[in-house]
Amino acid sequence: MPSAPHTSAARRASGLLSLIFLILAALPALAAQTREELARELPASDLSGGDAAQAGRRFLAAPGFATARVADNPLAPAAAPVGEKMCVSCHQLESEHFTHTLHALGLFAAAKADARIPVCETCHGPGSAHAQQPAAPGLILGFTRTSATPVAQQVKTCLSCHAGGARDHWAGSIHQRNELSCSDCHNPMAKFSGEGLLARRSINDTCAQCHNDVRQQFNRRSHMPLAEGQMSCVDCHNPHGSLTQPLLKTATVNETCYQCHAEKRGPFLFEHAPVRDSCLNCHTPHGSNQHALLSAPVPFLCQQCHSQLGHPNDLQTPASLAGGAHPDERLMGRACLTCHAQIHGSNAPSGPKFHE
Amino acid sequence: MPRTCIPVRAPLTLALLLALPAAQADSGVGVDSWRGNKLDPSAGAASATTDARGMSWLRPDLRRSPGGHLYVCPAESPQMQPIGEWEYAGRVQLGYLITFGDDANGHWNRYVKWDSGLILGLLEIALRRPEDGSYADIRASRISDDDAFFQAAFGRAGSYKVEAFLRELPNVVSGDARSIWSGVGGNDLRLIGGLQPGRSSSAEVAAAAAAAPRRSLEVVRSKTGLGLDLYLTPQWSGYARLSEDRRRGARPFGGAFFYNFVFAQNAGVLETPRPVADSTINMNLGLRYAGSAWRLDFGYDGSFYRDRYTRFDFDNPFRIAPSQPGASAPPVERGQFATEPDNDYHNLRASLTRRLPLDGEFSLSAAAGRLRQDDDLIAPVNCQGLFGIDQDGSGQPGPANRFLYACADWNTPAALSRRSADLQIDTLLLDSRFTLQPLQRLHLRGGLRFNREDYRNTYLAYNPLTGDYGYIAENAAPGSILGGQTGIWNPFAARSILTRVRSIPLDQQEIAAHLGADWRLSERNSLGATYTFTRDEPSNRERRRIDDDSLKIAWSNRAWERLTLRASYTWLQRGGDAYDYRLYAPAYSSSLPGFVAPFGGLPAPVVEAMRKYDLSDRREHKVDLIASYALREDMTLSANLRGDFNNYAAQIGRQAYDTGGISLQWDWQPGPDTQAGAYFGYDRSRLVMANVNEEVFGPDPRLGGETFPDTARWWAYDKQRNRSAGANLVQRLGRVKLDAAWNLIDSRGITSFRFNSPLALAYFEDGAAALQGAFSPLRYRVDSLTLGFSLALTPRHSLRLFDYYERGRLQDWHYQGLQAGSVIDHRVYTDAGPQSYTANLIGLLLDIRL
Repeated sequence: MPSAPHTSAARRASGLLSLIFLILAALPALAAQTREELARELPASDLSGGDAAQAGRRFLAAPGFATARVADNPLAPAAAPVGEKMCVSCHQLESEHFTHTLHALGLFAAAKADARIPVCETCHGPGSAHAQQPAAPGLILGFTRTSATPVAQQVKTCLSCHAGGARDHWAGSIHQRNELSCSDCHNPMAKFSGEGLLARRSINDTCAQCHNDVRQQFNRRSHMPLAEGQMSCVDCHNPHGSLTQPLLKTATVNETCYQCHAEKRGPFLFEHAPVRDSCLNCHTPHGSNQHALLSAPVPFLCQQCHSQLGHPNDLQTPASLAGGAHPDERLMGRACLTCHAQIHGSNAPSGPKFHE
Repeated sequence: MPRTCIPVRAPLTLALLLALPAAQADSGVGVDSWRGNKLDPSAGAASATTDARGMSWLRPDLRRSPGGHLYVCPAESPQMQPIGEWEYAGRVQLGYLITFGDDANGHWNRYVKWDSGLILGLLEIALRRPEDGSYADIRASRISDDDAFFQAAFGRAGSYKVEAFLRELPNVVSGDARSIWSGVGGNDLRLIGGLQPGRSSSAEVAAAAAAAPRRSLEVVRSKTGLGLDLYLTPQWSGYARLSEDRRRGARPFGGAFFYNFVFAQNAGVLETPRPVADSTINMNLGLRYAGSAWRLDFGYDGSFYRDRYTRFDFDNPFRIAPSQPGASAPPVERGQFATEPDNDYHNLRASLTRRLPLDGEFSLSAAAGRLRQDDDLIAPVNCQGLFGIDQDGSGQPGPANRFLYACADWNTPAALSRRSADLQIDTLLLDSRFTLQPLQRLHLRGGLRFNREDYRNTYLAYNPLTGDYGYIAENAAPGSILGGQTGIWNPFAARSILTRVRSIPLDQQEIAAHLGADWRLSERNSLGATYTFTRDEPSNRERRRIDDDSLKIAWSNRAWERLTLRASYTWLQRGGDAYDYRLYAPAYSSSLPGFVAPFGGLPAPVVEAMRKYDLSDRREHKVDLIASYALREDMTLSANLRGDFNNYAAQIGRQAYDTGGISLQWDWQPGPDTQAGAYFGYDRSRLVMANVNEEVFGPDPRLGGETFPDTARWWAYDKQRNRSAGANLVQRLGRVKLDAAWNLIDSRGITSFRFNSPLALAYFEDGAAALQGAFSPLRYRVDSLTLGFSLALTPRHSLRLFDYYERGRLQDWHYQGLQAGSVIDHRVYTDAGPQSYTANLIGLLLDIRL
């Protein structure tokens, strides 16, 4: 039997009707019943009720939500679940925004399939104590600045479903040590971003909340296309923790770079040692005023290491530029790289000096 | 340049689309985490209408994150329309763009490739089936042929997700190029304008270059991806992603025919436009288990790079002649490059994590990888006939004419010790770490890491056809100018020639350990300390052991009502074993039996005081501070302060590298109708390096010795300064929305130098006036201004008219003077460098809610 259309308007109407029904049904008892007693009598979740609930049980709960249960709230040990409907009676606008997130889609469907699966209380913990004293801090799991819920508890709540995978090395990571909460970067209460339930409109905007100085570096002359929306910080970094200190997604700097620059991977017949060691020996990945993200102007970049006899160790002056007294290819244009073009390594048998 | 449109795909791409259901990477694996464009980097979120009701009816103000940042106002909820059991909402944004001004400029188009014409600003369709949590999403945008994306996903929340995407990413690498070659984008460049390979004069080449049309050089990246994420059970999940990354285009490169700065009207230096034509298949597979006590993560990453070309050949226009009077040389007509080799990458990894008592965790990770390539090797030279110097005029190579060579002995793979590269690097990573909370206020953590890279195989530069060791340097040009400077060693005919004969494997091993503790002073206030030791043991580098000791002190405080503060200080000390500046000798002909040192001995390869900065002793002090302060309930001020100060113990080499900066950001959200922000950033860096010229080609490696006297020492200083500023405002007034944004980046770099005497200089006469100097400032200043006006025509239709103005002022001394002529003696510069510009974009977008 098909369920009623699940539009937000329908839900609002359904929520309102349910609320009126509850109020009317409970009116005689309300005078004698405490709010806590009322809350305990309510089902853990009763989003759709009636026909919709019956229809929903056509499906099993999706595995990702099948074990969702009311979250623990150590600050309200005696609290009991009250069900989504009770929450919505006060938080209707929040519910409307939340409805359009993937979390809501999954939780609502799972709750229909299995009445033990809560919705709001999966993340916010049992609501009865909060319903009794809405202004008292800590009685509901909160994820905001003013919430009394410790950050560690906030994170633990999220990880109760999202443990492992990309978050496998959260414990001990720089973000965990700095006491970031999941809700510093994510806000699952509404769809603020196209993807990822982020707190800001994009990954880059989200990271820039704290790392605005890094975002500004991406405005420099040479940069990767983050400002243009073609890349994100998460292409290189895993903010949830990784095996490296700067939260790189791979085991080394170079492996991270090779993800998009596979042609640099080699191995080459003739390798350039600092290149193989780390791309960061010559490049600044967040932006540079030099060509190609170089950390210093050529030829001086190269002359930090090359003092061989002959041409590498000469000091050039502006007179070696085009139009100068003695133009010199070691300084003009791409300088050293005009001749040593295969600077990342050469696969030519005649390329030990990266000429070919 | 060949162009690729989304509908036109390689058969492989089609096969991928048909064969497998990646492709959006998660934060743990892979790339392609975001798809947007410069028109809207947020991929639709920024242009969504905010909900005038705010987030909650219970409180009008916006909440803050635990770190103190304001959450943004949510967008209006989509009005889902029913279709059977499904419901949908959608949005399409169609429009027209007009660009004018310097709209062909390379920087204006860098990663966006604006075109005048019709665009699809955004297509967004969302389908939902609330009954079981199924969904389907489509998002697309197309600004131009080279700047577009399409993605589609369907799945069931908490169960599975299948995703596919196509995207085109433009990269204009030069907006002002002139090529004297035809076939740009291909791997066989031929001279144009009647130029004769190996026979043209500088004037003829200059004339051809001046007549060549201006063009841009671009590389377009076309990506296709497919992916599947799947929950097998509540604990087990898996993923599979497959993507293809194709690149097409050309970029400025090089071409070496020996030193023009030494041999005026001779030799050659060419900036060729090299082709970029490759494809990479990336694959990520994984299986994960997340239980209450154990977590497991198994993964495989594969990447397979294929270049369309193995080689890249190009004509050399210039006549190259022996320096020896009376001698002649066959023309050097062609040059060559080996392109990057096709390579395969495999990485298998496993991670096991166990919850411990005391709220702890222990994690053990292992990964084994392989980088392999076996590309066919190109011949040492691509000439036909003869090369070298014909000393006796006979045109016949032989003992009497020993500097003349037959191309046939060198222009074939048979002239190599092996036909293909057959190279491999094996990697191994072991990582273990733990966290514990032995006391309520104390967290402990520690870890050990072992990482190793092993090279398999080396290459010997030996020609079995001739018995020579070595190679043909710079397309045979040196050997055509100076007799015997070909680059080959022979125990009989050229036994004192120092040349490279072996590749150098760069095996390396890293062992690292860290131990740290965090002490909670109060609920929201903690102090932490971490000690880290890292030992790098590279093979075949100047140092066999490099040790880093570092200590980091961190403070995180959210205890204040309005202020969040995170600060850290890091001290690092690098040391190691002795520095061996002669390390590379075994790779040279001097290591071969039969080598005879030249009269006076082998010259010093390098001054012994050189310390390469990735290996040298170093002391670092680093401070970081991140803060946010709630000025009012609707206003936030965020600040970053950082400094990184590095001193290197090097007389020659990098001596110091300091960076520091401050950034301020102000955000104001008084209500759903108003949003404003402003930022300012200032940072600077200072790099100091030293070097020394040689006075003679002698064997004395000492700094201050006969070869490298103190009088030839010099120092260079590179100082960079960046200022950033910007402001933005979005204001809604009933049906009208106004938006404005201004951004500025103003960079200035000064590279200066000093020297002890003119002996340090490439040109002695430059030192006649003063013992110091500087290059013109490197400037990069871009101002941009966006003004937009949006009008809600109906509840479903709105119109946005906007203007985007951008002005760039660019100055790079490397390209100073090249505008006057791109051919200077025997040098050809294809790229004229960055150009200043002023460009404008006007757009009209019709936004329709479906």
